[in-house]
Amino acid sequence: MSTRMKPNKKVKASMCLMGLGQLMYGQVGKGLLYLGVLALGIAYFVFRGGADLVGLFTLGTREMDTWLGIEGDNSVVMLLMGILAVIALLLLAAVHISNVRDARETQRIVERGGRPAAFKEDAKQLLDKKFYKTVLFLPVLGVCVFNILPIIFMIAIAFTNYGGSIVPPKLVDWVGVDNFVQITTLSQFAPTFGRILSWNLIWAVCSTALNYFAGLGLALLLNKDCVKGKVFWRSFPILAYAVPGFITMLGFKFMFSYGGPINQLITAAGHRAVGFLDIDAKWIARFIGLGVNAWVSVPSIMLLATGILSNRDMSLMEAARIDGATPWQQFRRITLPFVLFSTTPVLLGQFIGNFNNFGVFYFLRGGLYIDGYFLASDTDLLINWLYNLSISNNYYNIGAAISLVIFLITSLISLIIYTRSASYKEEDTFR
Amino acid sequence: MKVSKIADTCVTYIILIVVCFIFFFPCLWLILASFSKSGSIYSFEGFFPSSYSLDTFRTLFTDTAMYNYPRWFRNTLFIAVMSCLVGTFLTILTAYTMSRFQFGARKTMMKTTLILGMFPSFMGMIAVYIIMTQFGLINNMWGLILIYSANAPMGYLTQKGFFDTIPSSIDEAARIDGATNFQVFTRINLPISMPIIVYTALTSFTFPWSDFILPKLLLKEKDLYTVAVGLMSLGDTEFARFAAGAVFIAVPIVILYFCLVKFMVNGMTAGAVKG
Repeated sequence: MSTRMKPNKKVKASMCLMGLGQLMYGQVGKGLLYLGVLALGIAYFVFRGGADLVGLFTLGTREMDTWLGIEGDNSVVMLLMGILAVIALLLLAAVHISNVRDARETQRIVERGGRPAAFKEDAKQLLDKKFYKTVLFLPVLGVCVFNILPIIFMIAIAFTNYGGSIVPPKLVDWVGVDNFVQITTLSQFAPTFGRILSWNLIWAVCSTALNYFAGLGLALLLNKDCVKGKVFWRSFPILAYAVPGFITMLGFKFMFSYGGPINQLITAAGHRAVGFLDIDAKWIARFIGLGVNAWVSVPSIMLLATGILSNRDMSLMEAARIDGATPWQQFRRITLPFVLFSTTPVLLGQFIGNFNNFGVFYFLRGGLYIDGYFLASDTDLLINWLYNLSISNNYYNIGAAISLVIFLITSLISLIIYTRSASYKEEDTFR
Repeated sequence: MKVSKIADTCVTYIILIVVCFIFFFPCLWLILASFSKSGSIYSFEGFFPSSYSLDTFRTLFTDTAMYNYPRWFRNTLFIAVMSCLVGTFLTILTAYTMSRFQFGARKTMMKTTLILGMFPSFMGMIAVYIIMTQFGLINNMWGLILIYSANAPMGYLTQKGFFDTIPSSIDEAARIDGATNFQVFTRINLPISMPIIVYTALTSFTFPWSDFILPKLLLKEKDLYTVAVGLMSLGDTEFARFAAGAVFIAVPIVILYFCLVKFMVNGMTAGAVKG
């Protein structure tokens, strides 16, 4: 399509009315298909979509009144349906563009002396040249409905006052950036937000570093020549890796609970039971969290590092040894750069995963609210707070605003790491 | 030299034994607890039960009035198997297409998935909940299956990394012989991608198998509990029941992992290398 060609009448017909050009070329099946899509689209907008679009801006005008028997608007459903209508509009536009493109393609073929593709041939193309379209249709649809739509919806919620006492049947309204102002300034949210954010950052850095180096160290240890029966030794971490996460967490919660085995041993030795995960157990609980998280994550890092280490160029090590490098120097100058290089994406993934690590503290201390925190405890991460606020306590708008803050932080960090990392700058160093 | 080598070996083994103890002990503790005669955690002597029997397993399956474990188990198995089938299918196809086809929207789609991955995982839960109410799929296991399968293709990167390593010259040879892209995929690439398919199936089975957030949100009826939600509802006095239930669902997974650990490592390394 590089050469500019004048759209002929039939292409113009397609521009005006989807499918018309195809019909004029004698491509009945395709033409009707396009027309059908258009008819469906128009029908949708006449009967439902148009009102939904308006609803997106007003978010409902009639409040429910049981005394007067007025069935009010449900703002939240209206918001969701409004977003859906916008998506439908975009989809219709995309189909229209594809229709014009298709007409131009046919024009080009005809001008070169070919004949318009029959419906059957087009359908066949879907298994061949356009195989990707056939294949990606379902996944893209699924991701749009269950991933993108909810995210857009929550982004929208972050700019409304939906939550607290304002839930349907009450009417919800757009409030601009009020929620963000609230979490950073309001005495109800701001102190909690600051405390949780700083602990969240400490947690993400510490747990990632701990898991990463412990996993790498374990892999190196198991890789040593003097270790016999590697399969046997390796099976223990794999065992830990295979146990479903929630079982591990719940198990550890029982282990550290008041009646748990550790406290039984302590009381048997004549001391008082320790509330490891109790209200005043700030740092103890945090360290237990770090340990439990390491128990869960180290094995996967070990497996990964084992795979990467087996790709290591051993002649480099040999050369270094002959030149008199100590094992530490070999590790520091050869192994570590290589492993770091190959695992930057994993490291980043781990960091993001730990930053948003919901499970650990949800299971260990779930549902604990502490003085000085608004609906949170001193071990909770932002994501736990988000859960407490939006799922347990209906503060949807604040929850959504926090989600956006989490998103901003994680994406900023990933962006920085990605653009600065060695594996981004020099892709071919170790190839 | 000799002495330091022996010392080195000794230290290595000591560390190994400690590490293995750390990993093994909690598992052993749960397994032994599941065989304890009395159910409550308070009746234990330290870590271990005072007397052993098979009773807990028997009550786990027969005493279903309060805690219907067999029911939870069936629910979980159904959800996990169905999500695994659909999810694996979609993920493999997506990864293959992203690896082999050059089309206009490809880069945009890859970037979009990266960005979507940055949002907190259950940020959209409320919206999902509302969507599910609109579809009438609350308290319905198919709703969960739909969500798990629809979200599975988001994690296509590992699989794409694998397909990137299969040389495309094979494809081209087949194309010259007249195969369509569909045939190239089903006849040539699919048979040699068994490791990655196994890996994908395993991961998309274990996620629903051990997820607790979605079932908790979407399945409110007690009859529809999954094992994860059900086990979470057990307190200190039902500790042995918890342990037995946990052991019972962990054992199949653990065996599966041990059989497939080679595939897992291959899959993980394939995805780790930047492509």
